[in-house]
Amino acid sequence: MMRNILLVAVREFRQIAMMKSFWLTLLLVPVALAIGPLFARSLDDEEATRVMILDRAGGSAAAAIEQRFALEEDRHTLRDLSRYIRRHELEAADPDAAWAQHDRWYTETDVEQFRRQGGLDAALQKIERIRPEATPEFEPHEPEYVFAPPPSELVSSQDALLDERIDALLDADEEEAGEEAADYVLLIGEGYPADPMIRLWSKDQPRTSFVTQLQEVLTGELRQRLLLQQGLSPDQARAVQSAAPAIAVTTPPPGGGAREALLIRSIVPLALSYILMMSLMLSGSWMLQGSVEERSNKLLESLLACIRPEELMYGKLVGALAVGLSMITVWLGCAAVVVFFTQGAIADMIRPALEPLSSPGVILAMIFFFIAGYIAISIIFVAIGAMADSMSEAQGYLMPVLLGILLPITLLLNSIVAGKEGLIVQLLTWIPLWTPFTVLARLGTGIEWWEMVGAGLLLAAFVALEVVFLGRLFRASLLATGQKPGFRQLMERFKPVR
Amino acid sequence: MSVLRVENLTKRFGDVLAVDDLSFSVEPGEIFGFLGGNGAGKTTTLRMVLDIIRPTSGRIEVLGAAPDKRKSDAIGFLPEERGLYSHMKAIETIVYFGRLKHMEPADAHRHGMELLERFDLADRAKSQIGDMSKGMAQKVQLACSLVNRPELLMLDEPFSGLDPVNQGLLEDEILRASQRGAAVIFSTHVMQHAERLCDRLLLLKKGAKRFEGTLDEARATQPAHITAIARPAIADVPGVMRADRVEDAGQDWARYDLTLDPGTNADAVLEACTARSVPLRRFEERRASLHEVFVRMVGDGEIER
Repeated sequence: MMRNILLVAVREFRQIAMMKSFWLTLLLVPVALAIGPLFARSLDDEEATRVMILDRAGGSAAAAIEQRFALEEDRHTLRDLSRYIRRHELEAADPDAAWAQHDRWYTETDVEQFRRQGGLDAALQKIERIRPEATPEFEPHEPEYVFAPPPSELVSSQDALLDERIDALLDADEEEAGEEAADYVLLIGEGYPADPMIRLWSKDQPRTSFVTQLQEVLTGELRQRLLLQQGLSPDQARAVQSAAPAIAVTTPPPGGGAREALLIRSIVPLALSYILMMSLMLSGSWMLQGSVEERSNKLLESLLACIRPEELMYGKLVGALAVGLSMITVWLGCAAVVVFFTQGAIADMIRPALEPLSSPGVILAMIFFFIAGYIAISIIFVAIGAMADSMSEAQGYLMPVLLGILLPITLLLNSIVAGKEGLIVQLLTWIPLWTPFTVLARLGTGIEWWEMVGAGLLLAAFVALEVVFLGRLFRASLLATGQKPGFRQLMERFKPVR
Repeated sequence: MSVLRVENLTKRFGDVLAVDDLSFSVEPGEIFGFLGGNGAGKTTTLRMVLDIIRPTSGRIEVLGAAPDKRKSDAIGFLPEERGLYSHMKAIETIVYFGRLKHMEPADAHRHGMELLERFDLADRAKSQIGDMSKGMAQKVQLACSLVNRPELLMLDEPFSGLDPVNQGLLEDEILRASQRGAAVIFSTHVMQHAERLCDRLLLLKKGAKRFEGTLDEARATQPAHITAIARPAIADVPGVMRADRVEDAGQDWARYDLTLDPGTNADAVLEACTARSVPLRRFEERRASLHEVFVRMVGDGEIER
């Protein structure tokens, strides 16, 4: 029996492997996965936002704004540098430096100290002395905002002409216009601060972070003037302004935050769940095509003269499983190559992502739910293939089945990614058709062992029932060509062979 | 031991009785014709022998075992509805079926090539089935059924769709299989092939057996016809059921068509003529053709000329 099953499986596999669509899919998925992040990155707006400030009140407000944004920029660099140091354990480069201390929210004093010590360049020189060869270099982020001087004709323009010229600046293509283009233009009127109205022209909806910082700076400026008017000395006024609590921050190391860690631990299980879904849909439709060909080419009788219907069915299932597993092997192989050749953040992330695989129990569970899931769904495709005389007829059966399986899975995976494990997730764990996807997806976020074992047993029982009942349907439907079974005939086919 | 033994086989599909208490057996080296009109139960019977469908009642023994034991290594089957995997090459297809019948790949390849050579298809061995003509594909399928040198070769309407040259080729293969000791069963409603090939016949109507025996026995079931030039006294000879005067031959002589009583042979009538001194100028026996036997037993509407 096993010999015939393997012969059928090998033929099924070879037939699918000869399809162009198989190779296209096999290669397209890794290519898409590789291109996807690059494409996403290209979509990211990495260009710094160009800001022009037209300060007609003397220039001190513009200077304050620029200083504040520069401070935030340096704070950001300091934070990034601190995470880099912590990830690669490079504190020895300068244990007293602010970036070697990860226990607080960096204050203006910290940023000042960072600047006094030479800023990023000096820090990198120190780090470079002790950085091991395998440790990647620090990559500074692109600045968020750059401040450009406004064109001279803008300075003298008023009212409608000013609006017109600012519109021209905002509409200008930055690559072509260069210095003559802007994303934001800020006008500080002559009457400022007596008249505290500030105007902001923006290409798009202005960023909240920009407006908030702007407001903070200008509010500070206004308060400073008010305090001076109230008779406080400049130093006293500055002291009042800079009074701020010191915030001590305790964070897990990079990739170790609860939410972050949860997501990272879920990468492999979730990916498996997605892969199971994708490979099932693909190999299932190819197998269906093969089954329909067998029926429409009328070669079933020749086959059944040599082997039992069950052997044909199991052979098809094994063939589909082999197709699915080989696709997964190639995809995981591609991922392994990427991991092997990728340094830095990705490799660091992979380590905790592979953590769920450290337990043999989890590995066994993954293998079990993957294979059982494959059989549970593939057998439905096989049964459909045995009933349909043409692909269009098969589609009629297939569409509702696919929708029924895929819709809840899509919702489920989104819920798990969002960290929600509500009633739906619990429920789907116990419905065998969705058990494999749910359990695989939950392996990273943590699933009780009794739930896993119980759902696994239920799934195994479901597969056994499927094999019995869909096996009968398969056998009874094989030679019933040209007959579209009604509900009654369909039910008849589930009965045992007399 | 019979290669195939069928006893009291009955198959019902709901209210329809497809095969009705059928019994027969086929011996090694025998060519057994399975004759009947459309819906007579031929294909259903063959499918039950192959365990593709299960009988409602009755017993089947293939090479001494129940059909569900699937002695596929000893069985060759050519179905009425033919088709192969269009993307597979001819020789690959034959080897695949050979392997499903438990052959070693090398042996299946070797014998497959021999068969393709015999069928004048050796140069197309590596062609895909989808690129072949229908006739070529049918020959590849015949090769699939023969590749394992079966002890029981079952051919369901094998001549349908074949041109005269390929019909001859198929007849040769049936005779070749029989000569090497295989039992060959083929169903047909083309009587000429059955007449030329079959050692024994089984006539089916609506699932029930109407006749089983040799071609001579089949003909003997129908009254024999004799053409005689004789005088009117011929009508009184014992064994002559009817004497139809066809044409005048002059001087009281005439040409008669004689219909004999069932079971009476021409020799006995000739002997009686001699004993009674009935003068004869011509005495020629014309036995019933299988076509006539079939029409009488099954009905004219069932036959393909």
